[in-house]
Amino acid sequence: MATPHSAIGDPTATNPTAGITTATHPAAPAAVKILIAGGFGVGKTTLVGSVSEVTPLRTEEYLTRASVGVDDLSGVDQKDTTTVALDFGRITVSPELVVYLFGTPGQERFWFMWNDLVNGALGGIVIADTRRLETSFASIDFFESRGIPFVVAINCFHNTNTRTPDEIRAALDLDPQVPMLLGDVRERAFGRDLLLALVDHLMELAAASPAG
Amino acid sequence: MGPYGNDARAAGRDDGRRRGAVPHWSELEEDAEHETGSMVRPYTITRGRTAPERDDLTLITVLTTVEEETAKALARGSRAGARGLQPEHRLILERCRRPAAVAEVSAGLDLPVSVTKILLGDLVAQGLLKARAPLSVARAAGGVDLGLLTAVREGLRRL
Repeated sequence: MATPHSAIGDPTATNPTAGITTATHPAAPAAVKILIAGGFGVGKTTLVGSVSEVTPLRTEEYLTRASVGVDDLSGVDQKDTTTVALDFGRITVSPELVVYLFGTPGQERFWFMWNDLVNGALGGIVIADTRRLETSFASIDFFESRGIPFVVAINCFHNTNTRTPDEIRAALDLDPQVPMLLGDVRERAFGRDLLLALVDHLMELAAASPAG
Repeated sequence: MGPYGNDARAAGRDDGRRRGAVPHWSELEEDAEHETGSMVRPYTITRGRTAPERDDLTLITVLTTVEEETAKALARGSRAGARGLQPEHRLILERCRRPAAVAEVSAGLDLPVSVTKILLGDLVAQGLLKARAPLSVARAAGGVDLGLLTAVREGLRRL
């Protein structure tokens, strides 16, 4: 893909280790995050692990929400508290910039209400499995409704995909601009290509929007 | 053991650091006598506080130990019986000598994010930790900054 933004002599294309020798007190890098979503068991942590510079770490959070109240017989406000775990990794882009990759917890209803996880995300990657595309519908809907740009990864590691990309696109009801890549999330090169596709997509969106 | 002490998540921890997995404050009292050794309830560490003093810490806020202030505080603490700084605080100060995000500190301490944020808030308030907010990726004002995206792209290409 053409990369009109990577100009010759780009000052950001420096040696990633250049800052190490200079600072005694390490300056805090700035951080951005990318969300990795998709149905349960679709390969989110695998993807995080394939591109992360550290073995994926696991953290937990307590989430409380008012329960949905469909069988609310008592009229009492019920609270529903649960613990969700998420796996994440990191990519040190430069001494000044770190990208954190967060695999969203498998059950959408939990991570959808985790504002700290969702707010401020640069973008997302939705992983889909062609044998059960429907498990990724909720993630796609969620990113669309929140206005979070995303790309779709069709995970083909079982080599059972018999559908064409157009058929998959139609089945997922994807917007034509949303990039979709087919590959194996265990492979670092595919993970890298997905992240690059997301960044290119973000650049296109930034270029297309009126200057702010 | 409380009625929720054996939930599946806690049972899945076989590393000997299992905590009573009771997420809700209302259960904090009922078996306080069991709070021995490693069975410390997460909000015991925060002395019962369930919300951080500051609400601007996010999962990817990056924290760095302020070495000079920390050295002073530790010196003061050892004379005063370490009042104020708990073992978890000390672990955090050690960990953040190299900058680390809230999520990384949480994972390292094996404490939930909300508990970790309370402890981090204490240290930021005391001037022992510096917090760096995430880069803004606000899309309302014409999309993400192209300079930021270019830097991310260059870094990812080296993967």
